Amino acid sequence: MAAANEMITADAIEATEFMDLSRKYRVTGVPKTIVNETIEILGGLPEKMFVRQALDLPDPDTP
Amino acid sequence: MGLLSPQDEATLKQHLSSITFPVQLVLFTQAFGGSETGDVAKQILGEIASLNDKITIVEKSFVLDTEDKAKYKVDKAPAIVILSDGIDTRMKMYGAPTGYEFVGLVEAIIVAGTGKIDLDPETMKWVQAVDKPTHIQVFSTPT
Repeated sequence: MAAANEMITADAIEATEFMDLSRKYRVTGVPKTIVNETIEILGGLPEKMFVRQALDLPDPDTP
Repeated sequence: MGLLSPQDEATLKQHLSSITFPVQLVLFTQAFGGSETGDVAKQILGEIASLNDKITIVEKSFVLDTEDKAKYKVDKAPAIVILSDGIDTRMKMYGAPTGYEFVGLVEAIIVAGTGKIDLDPETMKWVQAVDKPTHIQVFSTPT
């Protein structure tokens, strides 16, 4: 995603090495994704579902 | 002894053969008072770089190279900043790239070295429509 858009930066963080950050973001399982300090995604998701959640796009199945 | 088996090296070399642009892996480590995983990261990057001459490693000090730290917005070490032909791809890895992180690193190197982004066309439209700063942090563990 970062490679596709200059507005996006992506960090992959080894959770056990940076325990303070893991505690800060309440990483209880992996992978855990935090977007702009506000959106949290726990676990791996299919690509479209992940991107929709990460970018806070509306769910097409919700009327 | 290397961290990669000869078989892993052969497979990895094959994957990396699609690279057409030079890829620089900028490694920030902290020699004193830092994590020993910086040495592991250095060894892993060295083994990857030995498999493809378009991949080079640039070593930086997390303590002394403050301009580079600011330029690439590096706030912890060890850190790996991935450049495509000298241009920041905005993809970074923090910690030693072992286990699942290793797979992510190789994928990021291939994106940087080929310019090809493996996203569904619809997803790509959503991503390209982002017009405000978006910082994604993904936490994972080696196993």
